[in-house]
Amino acid sequence: MSVLEIDHLNKTYTHLRALSDLTFDVRAGEIFGFVGSNGAGKTTAMRIMLGVLAADSGQVRWNGVELDLDARRRVGYMPEERGLYPKMKVGEQLVYLARLHGMSAAEATTAVDLWTDRLGVGARRGDPVEKLSLGNQQRVQLAAALVHDPDVLVLDEPFSGLDPVAVDVMSAVLRERAQAGVPVIFSSHQLDLVERLCDRVGIIRSGTMEALGTIDELRTTDRPQWLLDVHAEPDAVLALAEAVPGARARAVPGRPGTVVVELSDSHDSAEQQLLGRALALGSVREFSRVRPTLADRFRDVVSAEDSPAGSPADTRDEEAA
Amino acid sequence: MSSAGVVWMVARREIKTRMLTKANIISLSVMLAVIAIGTGVAAYFMNRDSEPPVTYLAVAESVTPLQGDLEAAAAEQDVTLELTTLTVEEAQTQLVGDGDLQLDAFLDGEPSAPRMLVASQPDMQLLALVTEAAQSWVLAEELGALGGDAAALEAAIAGAAPQVESVEEVDGDEGGGFYGPAYFVSLVVISLLLFALIGSGSLISVGVVEEKTSRVVEILLATIKPSQLLTGKILGIGVYGLFQVVLLGGAAGVSALVLDFGDVADLNIGIALVWLVIWFLIGYTIYALLFGGLAALVSRQEDIGSVTTPLMFLLFVPFYATLFLVPNTPDSTLVRVLSQVPFFSPFMMPTRDALGALAPWEMPLAISVSLLTIPALIWLAARIYQRGVLHTGGRMKLREALRS
Repeated sequence: MSVLEIDHLNKTYTHLRALSDLTFDVRAGEIFGFVGSNGAGKTTAMRIMLGVLAADSGQVRWNGVELDLDARRRVGYMPEERGLYPKMKVGEQLVYLARLHGMSAAEATTAVDLWTDRLGVGARRGDPVEKLSLGNQQRVQLAAALVHDPDVLVLDEPFSGLDPVAVDVMSAVLRERAQAGVPVIFSSHQLDLVERLCDRVGIIRSGTMEALGTIDELRTTDRPQWLLDVHAEPDAVLALAEAVPGARARAVPGRPGTVVVELSDSHDSAEQQLLGRALALGSVREFSRVRPTLADRFRDVVSAEDSPAGSPADTRDEEAA
Repeated sequence: MSSAGVVWMVARREIKTRMLTKANIISLSVMLAVIAIGTGVAAYFMNRDSEPPVTYLAVAESVTPLQGDLEAAAAEQDVTLELTTLTVEEAQTQLVGDGDLQLDAFLDGEPSAPRMLVASQPDMQLLALVTEAAQSWVLAEELGALGGDAAALEAAIAGAAPQVESVEEVDGDEGGGFYGPAYFVSLVVISLLLFALIGSGSLISVGVVEEKTSRVVEILLATIKPSQLLTGKILGIGVYGLFQVVLLGGAAGVSALVLDFGDVADLNIGIALVWLVIWFLIGYTIYALLFGGLAALVSRQEDIGSVTTPLMFLLFVPFYATLFLVPNTPDSTLVRVLSQVPFFSPFMMPTRDALGALAPWEMPLAISVSLLTIPALIWLAARIYQRGVLHTGGRMKLREALRS
């Protein structure tokens, strides 16, 4: 089965460890969401996959073979820093890029017509790119990644700057490509989108894959979490929850008297204990099992003690990494 | 897809996007129009001026024996002489301006001492011409009286001219000579090379930085090698530049033919011209690679000057070295050594070749050295380019780009 393997990538910039032993894989037909805070190493990892940057060590493999220049021609890439020739016409530019990827002139023209129409910029084929709105330039950029019918799609922040309609078009295209058996990897800060679209998600922090799995896997916590809202003094509620053996509680900001309680698995019926104590304190307005959203999970992972080693003097390359 | 195919595709984009811009088409058309109009205007004035003046001379019956000598003297002095036979009275009428002939002078009296009748002041050239004719007639007469052969004497006189030989030695190349036409043409060509490099050098730098600022380079580098991208760019801009030179140069050449500047076409420099073209191409490649590689170090068009200015200065060093060192001492050790250095050879070798100052081994050696330098430069420039091209913000230090 086709699989894109990222195997123990390491990359160090002058003052910054950008990637350390980054390892994951993306299987055929899968949409993989690559998330992480700014500077976590997403762009660096993608640039290395595309051979734009060289890794210090590690390997990127496609179907078990190192991804070399010839294989990379079959990859569709949308860089974080968008870039097309501003003065070149949309159609000409896409044909040029398709041909660099090895298509014949005729194939390239057909594919360009197809994708520009599909992405809603067919009417602008004869215009220079700089005349298009940013959103439309973004569509052209996506067309540039798709036009050569790639075997792998690597998209860095494909949704940023798109209007809701374009987001839908883009999502549909990604799903369709995945269904056609193409592994799709994209990075995004729009976690709701990631949650909706992706089969699997990797959360990266300081160049290391901190969490990796399906959305379900990521949202499942080791310890059950309960939301409790009691009509009482907030401090009293917090104290009451912490008093349950093995429980950890935190107040929900902006909702006085509401806490989220993590209960220990080892204590049976801990939630009954919790509820009992709450009822004794005051009237219970809400008591429900909660699952963290991807955003919660992301916050947990990212904020679990933080210390990117970069110094402010570093170049923008590293910030973008 | 072959590497050459990729390079050519990149080159073709460069040519097409540069050639087909409105600005380019307009400026080329304007330049062609200027050349065409200039040719027309120049042709008009030159043809008007170049009509050789005709001198009208009339002779009396008594001086007709002098006719042959007059014609010979006129031919020798490059004067177009129109001879007629008139009487004194007729000539006087003409000379005061009442006739339809623009008569310059009239001769009568004896052929050995003719009287020259003019309107007011005699034309000095005409006077000299008549004097010479009279003298040679007298000489021939006297010689005939002494029983000599006038024709043989004339032939002997015609052959009596000094033969010039210089004491200083000039190597080889009989057509050469220190300031011969080949040397002149080589100077024109190295100046052209200098200006072509200044022009295309900045085109290349601007092109590289444009790809950087627009970030399109990241997509390109995900598909093709930096060396392919750089080579294609340099090739494309080179072809585009060459097209302009050929178009405008061709127009100028046609114009020269129209104007009948015979001397340019007569320059018989043959094989030297081939060397000039070869060195021009080598020189362009070497310096274009430097411009392309170094331009990748900066990210903004405003910063281009910080890399191109030093390179421009670098260009003037071999140019002036050639200008000052080569004509004086075309085969000194310093010149011999410098002309093997790749950055100097494109300027020095063709000039020295034109001066005939080359030992047979020098040209092949210099060409080999330069040709071997080119792949090394491609590698180096592509390396700087690859590292520099993803660097944004301030100017990247060369050392940083070269470090692995």
